[in-house]
Amino acid sequence: MIPRILIAESNDDVRALLELTVQRLGYEAVRPQEHGEVDAILLEPGCDVGRSVLHRFGDAAPPVICLSIYPREEGLEPSSSVAYLMKPASTTEISDALRTVFAD
Amino acid sequence: MRSAPSSLTSRGSTLRGVVPFARRRYFVTCLAVAGVAGTWGLMMAFSWSAKLGVISLAPWVALIGFDIGILGGIAGATLATVLWLIANHADGGNLDNTQIAVRAGSLVALAVGSALAGRRLRASEQAHRGVALLQSALIDSTLDGICLTDAEGNILISNRPLRRLVAEMGMPSHGTVPERLLALADSITEPERYRTRMLEVAREPGSASTDEFEIAGTGRVFRGYTAPVPEVAGGLRGRIWTLREVTADRELDRMRDAFVATVSHELRTPLTSISGFLEMMQDEEAGLGESGRKYLEVIRRSTTRLHALVEDLLLMAQIEANRIELTLAPTDVQALASRSIESARPAATEKGVTLELITDHPPEVVADGERIAQVIDNLVSNAVKFTNEGGRVTVSIEGNGSGLRLTVADTGIGIPSDEHGQIFSRFFRATTATQQAIPGTGLGLAISRALIEQHGGTITLTSREGVGTDVIVSLAATP
Repeated sequence: MIPRILIAESNDDVRALLELTVQRLGYEAVRPQEHGEVDAILLEPGCDVGRSVLHRFGDAAPPVICLSIYPREEGLEPSSSVAYLMKPASTTEISDALRTVFAD
Repeated sequence: MRSAPSSLTSRGSTLRGVVPFARRRYFVTCLAVAGVAGTWGLMMAFSWSAKLGVISLAPWVALIGFDIGILGGIAGATLATVLWLIANHADGGNLDNTQIAVRAGSLVALAVGSALAGRRLRASEQAHRGVALLQSALIDSTLDGICLTDAEGNILISNRPLRRLVAEMGMPSHGTVPERLLALADSITEPERYRTRMLEVAREPGSASTDEFEIAGTGRVFRGYTAPVPEVAGGLRGRIWTLREVTADRELDRMRDAFVATVSHELRTPLTSISGFLEMMQDEEAGLGESGRKYLEVIRRSTTRLHALVEDLLLMAQIEANRIELTLAPTDVQALASRSIESARPAATEKGVTLELITDHPPEVVADGERIAQVIDNLVSNAVKFTNEGGRVTVSIEGNGSGLRLTVADTGIGIPSDEHGQIFSRFFRATTATQQAIPGTGLGLAISRALIEQHGGTITLTSREGVGTDVIVSLAATP
């Protein structure tokens, strides 16, 4: 099964970059409006699309990797967060965080 | 404000305790005329013209002259002489013309003398009143609240803006200034800190101090200043207190900080796609021509600079908001310095600048290694940046008691001496740097100072334009 990564990012260019990064790792990039199971979320905390995705999954959210423009602070990071990266994180850092999620 | 002996203190420029001049003049002249009439009455009623003599009218004549002036005085003297002559005639006295002339002349001379004395006194009184009015206009026309107290803090004189501010702040209208300030503590945003400071101010009358405080719930911020005044008047020692509203200044600071934070945050998103796609380009770089690769290198370099700027802006915003927490651990500063030097070496070599480390192997200190490394990186890269070809940058570390002293010395362009005071202020850049268009944000030294001070250390600078700059960091064994 190819891991499916939902990308909840408000900026189109960054979303394109993240999709590319995810695909290069051999995973499948999923857009917020698509349905179906997802195995991890790449999330921009604090933006509308990020909020609606978190709302949709509620307590059943898969592991979340945050990619934020804000420093880590309480209330911004969802409970299922496994990594908090600050923009501009390199694609290497993002890839490493994703690999860690699927390491087991 | 407590009313005070000086006439200036009561109501702005209104002078209390000074009877209006015209009214007093009228009163004194009436008294003198009544005196003349009374004396003359005695002469006529009891035939006392010879007994009392013209001399008994002299004080009244002098008063009239003093009060009305020369012409009034002469008129008074003439009137007195005529009245006395009438009384004398009624009493059957015989006087020759010389006697009359001598007596009349004496009265006139007395009147003129008194008139001159009166005029002089009035002129000096008017001058004093003028100065007092000017002084009160001066202190009432400023924006700052000002008052002068005695050594105990009792108000001797205050200006109108102070009375207005005090009323607006809800400060009590009685008591010494320290008492009134303390009474305000519960309405200040940080009451405990404020109370402690005000008690310190009250305890140390010999020192000057400046404090800022915000009235809770109003957003109004005030800056108070107080200093001893060695000699107020007649050997009295006192204090000056000033109060200024700085709400607008603080609001501007807040807006600037918010703006800086927004810019720093909003730059992160485009920077993510620029640097991310640059990484993606790496695989395809081989397929580019020589100029293509050169262009890519320029983009990469600029992106790195932009990234550093964004990080500095964020760090500065966090420092301003007191949101930097140190992770303390035993730290080998020498190792951090040699790492900094190695990462600055390529740039130094490219510029032809010699880079060296001199150390007497000081012991480890308890510090946040990441933050100290940031400071050293900053100082070393600054030194390299501002040193021209053939120059030298020396980093020396020496044990200093139980702490250490790190010096980054360069033979660079230096900083003009009149800018040394501002060089650690955020966004400040030395003219030597801006004139030569050396890139920078003016944040490096401000950040370095904040981080070192958070460690309880000090950072100082000595510099001579065209000779070089030494930045000296002192750190204690533990913060």
